[in-house]
Parts: sequence; C-alpha cells; structure tokens
Amino acid sequence: MKAVIGMLAALVALAAPAAWADETCMSPYMAKIVGQEDYVYIWTLGMEGVGDGEDKLVTVDVNPDSDSYGQVIHSLSVGGRNEAHHSGLTDDRRYLWASGLDTSKIFIFDIHTDPAKPRIHREIDDFVAKTGGIVGPHTNYALPGRMLITGLSNNRDHGGRTGMAEYTNDGDFITSVWMPTDDNLQGAVKSGNYADGYGYDARALPRRNVLVTSSFTGWNNYMMNLGKMMGDPEAMKRFGNTVVIWDLHARTPKKVLDVPGAPLELRCAWGSRSNYCFTTTALTSKIWLIYEDEAGEWNAKAVADIGDASKIPLPVDISISADDNHLWVNTWNDGKVRLFDISDPHAPEQVFEERIGEQINMVSQSWDGERVYFTSSLLANWDKTGSQDGSDVQYFKLFNWDGESLSPQFSLDFVEMGLGSPHQMRFGAHALYGAPKAKMDHDAMAAR
Amino acid sequence: MLRLGLAALGFWAATAVAAPHQHEPPVVLAPGYAELEFEPPAVGSYLLPTMGDAADGAVLGTDGKAGRLHDFIGGKASVLSFIFTTCNDVNGCPLATYVMSGVQNAVLQDPLLADQVRLVSFSFDPELDTPPALGRYGDQFRKDDFDWVFLTTASQGELQPTLEAYDQWVIRDYDADGNYLGTMSHVLRVYLIDADRRIRNIYSTSFLHADTVVNDLRTLLTP
Repeated sequence: MKAVIGMLAALVALAAPAAWADETCMSPYMAKIVGQEDYVYIWTLGMEGVGDGEDKLVTVDVNPDSDSYGQVIHSLSVGGRNEAHHSGLTDDRRYLWASGLDTSKIFIFDIHTDPAKPRIHREIDDFVAKTGGIVGPHTNYALPGRMLITGLSNNRDHGGRTGMAEYTNDGDFITSVWMPTDDNLQGAVKSGNYADGYGYDARALPRRNVLVTSSFTGWNNYMMNLGKMMGDPEAMKRFGNTVVIWDLHARTPKKVLDVPGAPLELRCAWGSRSNYCFTTTALTSKIWLIYEDEAGEWNAKAVADIGDASKIPLPVDISISADDNHLWVNTWNDGKVRLFDISDPHAPEQVFEERIGEQINMVSQSWDGERVYFTSSLLANWDKTGSQDGSDVQYFKLFNWDGESLSPQFSLDFVEMGLGSPHQMRFGAHALYGAPKAKMDHDAMAAR
Repeated sequence: MLRLGLAALGFWAATAVAAPHQHEPPVVLAPGYAELEFEPPAVGSYLLPTMGDAADGAVLGTDGKAGRLHDFIGGKASVLSFIFTTCNDVNGCPLATYVMSGVQNAVLQDPLLADQVRLVSFSFDPELDTPPALGRYGDQFRKDDFDWVFLTTASQGELQPTLEAYDQWVIRDYDADGNYLGTMSHVLRVYLIDADRRIRNIYSTSFLHADTVVNDLRTLLTP
C-alpha cells in the first residue's frame, strides 16, 4: 500500500502554502518526492584512465530500508566524453535529460520503466544545428509538456552569447530564442550597464508569469584549463554580468538586470506570496536577491557575502529549503558548505559552516530537508587532480541534517570505483510510477 | 482521494512515501480556479510554435457512433482535454472542465472567436464513461449548441494508442492485492490544437487558466 500512501502525499504538498515542495530545486511544474527517495541519479563526467572513461549515469540506492543502501546499483555509459554537466526531469518525471557542455549532446534516459535501471531513450546530437547555433546545453528544465534548455555559448565565436531552446518531452525541437544583447534587446529594458547576452540557469515563477535566467561564460572559457584562464585577463573579462527577467508565457525578455560576477544557480522561493529568487555570483562571492517590489518592478541587489571574497571561495550550487527559510551554499575552492538563514530574504545571515571535501560542487536536499547530498566536480579542465589531505576528490556523500549539524551517512569515491567525476544529482522513487519498490516487478508492470 | 496522485502533477504535487504521521490538510485549489495573477502578454505579441502534429485515434461519440478523433479536431482551433467523469481530484479533471467552461463563456462573448473554436473532452475511462454516461456529463457543461464535443472509446485497446500519442500517462490504481480500485492517476494535460491539427500549446495544472487559453486562442486566430 505504499504507493497509495504516496498518493496521499500529494495532498500534503498541495496544501502547504508555506512549504511548497523543494526537493532541492525542481521545476514547479513537476511532481515532487516528499518522502524517502529510493535512488539518486548522478550524471557523471568521464575521466581518462578511470574505468571506461565515458560519461555515465550512475544510480545509487539511497533508501535505508534497502539491502543495497549506499551502493552503486547501476551505471550506464553513453559513449565518449561530452563534458557531462547538468540534468533535469520532464514534468511527468518519466525521463531524465542530461546534457554535455562540450559536444552539445543531450541524452534522454527512461527512468520510469525500471527506476533502478535507467536506459537510453533517445540521444539528441543535432542541438547546435537545430537551435541555430546555440552551444553548451546546460539547464534541462521542465515546462508543461516540454523541456527548456539553456545554452552557455554559440558556434560563431564560442563566447558567452547564447540562447535557450525548447523541445517536446519526446525530444523533438520546437523553437529557440537568443538572450537579449545591447545589439538586440528584443524589447527588453536594459536597467543597468550590461546586456551581455550570456546564459546559464533558468527558473520559472508561473504565478507571476516570470522566467529568470542567469549568466556564466562561453565554451572558450569553460573548456580552458582553469589556471590558464585565470592568468588570462581578457578571458576573465568574458563572464556574465546579468540576470534577465522574461515573460514566461511569451518567452520574451522584459528586463535585463546587472548582477556582476557570473551569477550561476537560480532558486526561487516556493511561498505563495514570495516573489523572489536567489542566485550567487561565482567571481564576487555574494548572494543576490532577485525580487519583485511593491510596484511590480523586478530588481536585483547583493544581500550577503559568502566567505571572504578576496580568497575566491567560488560559490557554486545552492539549494533553498522547502519553507524558504534556509539556503545551502557550496563553495568549490574551500570545499565548504554554508547555511544561510534567509527568512528575511533581504538580509541573509550565515548560521552554519562545515568543510565537506575538496571541490564540493552540487548539493541536493530532500523535501523535508533531513538529507543533504553532495558531489564534487565542476568542469573537467577546472577540477583538481589531488587533495591537500589525501582525501578523495571525486565523491558522492550523504549527510543527515538535524537543524544544527550534518552527520555523515556514507561516502562513495567515484575515482576508486572507476566511475569518474560526479556532477548533478536527481532523485528517483518507485512510488512515482504507481508501485512501491518491492512490488515494482509485478504490480507496476501489470498496471502499465 | 486516491485519485489525486499524479493528476496533481504540475501543481507542486508530490508522489512518494509520506511520513505516516502526516495529516491531510485541505487541498489548495489550482490557479485556474482564481483570478489570473498577472496580465497576459498582448494578443499576437508572441509566437505559439508548433509542438508537432495532433495524433488521430478511434473514438465514440455520445451518440455511440464510431469515428476518428481527426473528425473532431481540425478546421477550427481546438482545446482538447483528457478526463474521466468520475475523477474527484479537484485539481485534475474537474479543473480541466471548469477551465473549458470558462473558455466557452469567453468564446460566446467574442465575435472573433465565435465559430472558430471547438472544445473536445476525451475520456480515458471507456469502462465507466460509456457514450450515454459521457453525454449526461457533457450536458451539465455545454451551453445550448456550443461546439463542445465529448468523446470516449470502445475499449482500452482502442484508447491506449491515443493516450500514448498524446503523452497522456495514466496509471490505474490497484490495492495491495492487485484489485483495480476504479481510480486512476494521471498527468493533467490540455492541448491547444490549430485548424491544421498541429499542437500549439500544452497546459498542466499550475498553468491552466481560461484567460491564458483564451489569450492563446486569440493569438492563434488573429489574422
């Protein structure tokens, strides 16, 4: 009857206006896992000399009731290395889209037929041609019946000017749109000094008909050796300085906001009257609030420092809690996670800090906030090859969070296991598809 | 209550194992039941790029006559929703029919849209939604001779290819002993289809609103 209980869970999420489901950072159009997740799917970058060296989707059993808890139970290599980076689920959670920043390939995995054993459903290898030159598919974000894919670059100069594309859930191209630039604002208002046309992440606030996008850097930089890039003043100028507010329904840009220093991940509040999102700037180490004021205008302002900016902590992934009260912030350079109290979004305060490990990058928390998962790895040419203390540098770790401290549950060394560099995590659960785990092979398949 | 399930997908819904101590608070209604919280983009100011061809399939009308879905879409702009009449998830099928009713009202008051729009409610429960049953259901919502058709199918076998073609995923709910509970979980999807039978938009629970659909219809039909 677990599946039936699962259906009731929907009521809980529906009816808690101050606690819309966050299962880290999913699209608001998507079902959420509010209970115990069964699996974490980890889109993993292949490393030369490690295992087969290919990018792969790694499935880890994370249900503590399972005999294989804490173990890799499946690994599916996709052939070659593509600069595996981000991944995202379709609105019905039947498919996981995972993209490669170098080859611009997108791999669509079927995760519903057998959630324990994802399989390749389709491979998109003409993204650049179909989209009119967008390179580096990054965020795979669910919209109703379709996927929104943000780009990082373009095929003309491989710089940071880029766009977004839409595909049907089946993987058929629909349309693309370019980010607004000084040359072509597409009707948007340039509110500050920049309209750079760069892209990175995207998040929707359907209730306000708003889509928010952030900006990183182009292929020339993200595929360059990190040390070489940081020693190249011209290259360091080529980072995004903007957040764009879009008309979500029309997919037209409305306002370009200055957010200097490479604003990366975007997380919007879930509250029914919370018209704001957060981002962090990689180069200036600040939390920025993107918010709608009482007059209905969207604005951006820096609201907190993350560590000592002069030491370049390099904030990477962030995760907002389901109740909009806390924000986890990972900093890649010092290997730390910090927790900010964001109950006043205009004045976040750091309330916790702990070192998780070398080059910590992604963070995903369960809907109830009690489990927090971390992976390492940023980009193939930026990652470290060794740690100062000899610890593993490519890992997947689970901690329990009790509101005051993180307690380690398990840690997997992805190099030692011959897997590669783990990046984005997405959760899976048998109950999503109408069957509790133990009965999956019987009832669920029969029901289908 | 069990029918809620995936019908609520798209409205911050959740499926998974809930903690046993969790209580059942009142359901929050989908945005489609309230005033739209924003001004829609100006009619004609945006594109509705095609999302592919709207598939055909076998259907039964409320008069019991066998036909094809393509007999009922095409020639006019259509709004197609998949429902079942015994669905009691307020944010699922009832929302779809509520919004379709709102669209019906708007079309009746708009000379531009009159005679250019058809509403199609398609049942995915051939067992319970027989032609007479579906006819009675439709009579509750269709005004006079408004072009709102209600369709069902003769069997699960006839229905399934259409559901798959529209990516309309349905799970029949079973109890622990494998007995069909007579309920279904599904992803609410409503389709905007142009006169040439091409899908131009897809709406789900958190997106579906009569004002939004009408805005899209006007955008589609404005010369």
